[in-house]
Amino acid sequence: MPSALDTNMRFKFSAVALLLEVIIIVLFGIFVEYREDNNPEILYPIFQDVHVMIFVGFGFLMTFLKKYGFSSVGISMLLAAFGLQWGTLMQGFWHMQEGKIHVDSNSMINSDFSTATALISFGAVLGKTSPLQMLILTILEITIFACNEHLVTKIFQATDVGGSMTIHAFGAYFGLAVTLVLCRPGLKKKHENEESTYQSDISAMIGTLFLWLFWPSFNSATASENIFYIKAIVNTYYSLAACTVVTFALSSLLDQRGKFSMVLIQNATLAGGVAVGTCADLSINPFAAMCIGSIAGIISVLGFHFLTPLLACKLNIHDTCGVHNLHGLPGILGGIAGIVVTAINEETRQNIRLTPGMQAAALGSTIGLALAGGALTGGILKLPFLGQVSDQNCFDDSVFWEVPEEKKPHEFHSNNYDEHSRFEATM
Amino acid sequence: MPSSYRNFRNSVPWLILSLEAVFIVLFYFVFPYDDKFIMSYPDVNLMMIFGFGFFLMSLKRYGFSTTGFNLLLIVLGVQSHLTVILSVLVLLLIEATVSMTAVVISTGAVLGKANPVQLILMTVLELIVFRMSRWMSNTFLLVTDSISMMHVHLFGAYFGLAVSACFSEPSPRTDKNARTPKSDLLSMLGTLFLWVFWPSFNSILSDRKWRVIYNTYFGLAVSAVTAFALSVLTTKDGKFRMTHIHSAVLAGGVAVGHAAHSIQYPWIAMVLGLLASGIAILGSYCSQGCLNPPLKLHDTSGVHFTFGMPAVLGALAQVILLIIKNWNNLPSMGYLVMIQVGAFCLTISVALITGLIAGLILNLRLFKSIPVSKYFEDQFYWEFPHLAVGF
Repeated sequence: MPSALDTNMRFKFSAVALLLEVIIIVLFGIFVEYREDNNPEILYPIFQDVHVMIFVGFGFLMTFLKKYGFSSVGISMLLAAFGLQWGTLMQGFWHMQEGKIHVDSNSMINSDFSTATALISFGAVLGKTSPLQMLILTILEITIFACNEHLVTKIFQATDVGGSMTIHAFGAYFGLAVTLVLCRPGLKKKHENEESTYQSDISAMIGTLFLWLFWPSFNSATASENIFYIKAIVNTYYSLAACTVVTFALSSLLDQRGKFSMVLIQNATLAGGVAVGTCADLSINPFAAMCIGSIAGIISVLGFHFLTPLLACKLNIHDTCGVHNLHGLPGILGGIAGIVVTAINEETRQNIRLTPGMQAAALGSTIGLALAGGALTGGILKLPFLGQVSDQNCFDDSVFWEVPEEKKPHEFHSNNYDEHSRFEATM
Repeated sequence: MPSSYRNFRNSVPWLILSLEAVFIVLFYFVFPYDDKFIMSYPDVNLMMIFGFGFFLMSLKRYGFSTTGFNLLLIVLGVQSHLTVILSVLVLLLIEATVSMTAVVISTGAVLGKANPVQLILMTVLELIVFRMSRWMSNTFLLVTDSISMMHVHLFGAYFGLAVSACFSEPSPRTDKNARTPKSDLLSMLGTLFLWVFWPSFNSILSDRKWRVIYNTYFGLAVSAVTAFALSVLTTKDGKFRMTHIHSAVLAGGVAVGHAAHSIQYPWIAMVLGLLASGIAILGSYCSQGCLNPPLKLHDTSGVHFTFGMPAVLGALAQVILLIIKNWNNLPSMGYLVMIQVGAFCLTISVALITGLIAGLILNLRLFKSIPVSKYFEDQFYWEFPHLAVGF
């Protein structure tokens, strides 16, 4: 290959991945034990829903690029499968008992959550990194995520049941910081492969639908009691519904000819689920949840329309999937909603009163740690031996995948057309 | 040219309708329902119909048939299984659905080569034989139900291979069984669903559910990571190959399934996942290179290395774990090991022998097997919504 950057990762990638896997297995051998479950009948179906969201939902949501479907689904599966093992260890280290990490269905849900941050950051750098870089990013990000989560839930004792701050805002700002450090001036002009086709938009919609359907489970999965669990489901449900309607309306409003934009439908419809996450199990009624959802929809649509192009050209932050608008801004909105709700109502969880100050501290620490961690990670990813792809190879599956050849349908059409016109000419 | 197409109008509808009539009549005698609800049954159902339907959808011209026939076969198969045992207790319904895995795996081996009549007959035959084989290992070898059920992958894969050996090979020059990016992506959708719900599948009949779920979860995660690493290592220019990913990420679930109830620590399941993934990728390398051509085998979806070989590994691991567990008690160990090995050999030999017989029966002229030139063609069975250019 004539490119200056070496993209053949035959030995590098396999050696690093296998080595990491062996290290993880050894660590599991030393530290991890099973524990009998408390209430598995409730948690297991929720876990399955979250599992579908992580692997099918996030994976397919990112398949919107026309030549990057394999990597979107495949690499996100790799990252999630790797991240859940690493997440089990990292989160377990904070909750060790007698030097052992105990695994139960609750920790399975939490380790799936931790991989969500890595997948969100993957969305920001989608198409511009190599699988090896992404593995390193997953390790670093989940480590920092586990520390931040411990800080938020144990030291600040703030609530964040659906992870608006700790998962979504964290993942988004981490990814943005990475993409800023890895900035590619060569991609200022739009890359020819950085666009969607009809087919790829449809498959991205598969991801959206699965995320949308299972979001109530995501937001309620770590609720502490049965009543909070049901509250979280109901609030998320109405917030998502309101957000979807607002998104359709605004999408049509912002287009010159009043047409819907598929990008907005794929992404902004989910913003309601992100934004309601922090206060989903607090005492808000569906009315408040719907307000939060609608505001999230508005913010997300406006973000896609105005902010993303601005960030790309002014600040050199090139955000491929628009995670800033889907996870970043709605995540902050969720954090603010949490502050407001705890200021108005008196909320207690496990005999601890939730205070707006601590909620604000949680939001601040999350964003601060995400930006700092992301910048650091970006610096590490710049190391040359990690196989960064060259500018013209961006957004292309065939750099890392064996892609079956496909005869392009328009060639057939043009042939048919030629024959047809020739036929007409002879008539 | 309608004359060159074989018309199934006189056979398929009548076969299906008469089978359905038999089911309805026999269900009249069936005991009433019970009110039990088993949590993971919907998961397993989703895996069978959605997961396997899309998982096998990797051929570019065979998508309609793959998902369509999969649905048809599963609903027919579950009913015929229930008719054979004449009861619809929830546990038996689950058993019927899990048994269908064997059939679906076998259809993977003959995908695109068998016509619907042959597939339906194969379903009925295979279900009866699998039930017999389980009955034999339950009665004579006293193997528990949940363990003999986990032989479903083993049975399905080798039965399918034996049936496939009786069909003529497609010509190597044909490109109809090629893949396209679109079909690979849809196949990945099915793979993901199978992957996500595999813990439910392995645990559904087990009495130590949580142990099995955790073991399968970690085994699958490791086998997914290993699949990517080894795929890069074995391809020519260091790229991922989608076929490897499809098969090897699932291998861990298949292998862990056999021993999941007796694995005490997650790291054992993880090592098993790593080995299973390695075997699947090595297997795909070997079976395409040196195993299939001399045996004149054509295994369309690679069920041999996706399900067959990891299942053998799982059975082996189960025996080894038994030996370690009963190390201090040698006489009883010998007995237990004999039983496990016996059950394993029984399943494989029954699968291979009956598979060959079934293959020979299916190739009788009566069932109008399709000519080699028409393999892997949707248009043979389906009305197309448009005049498909490029098909």
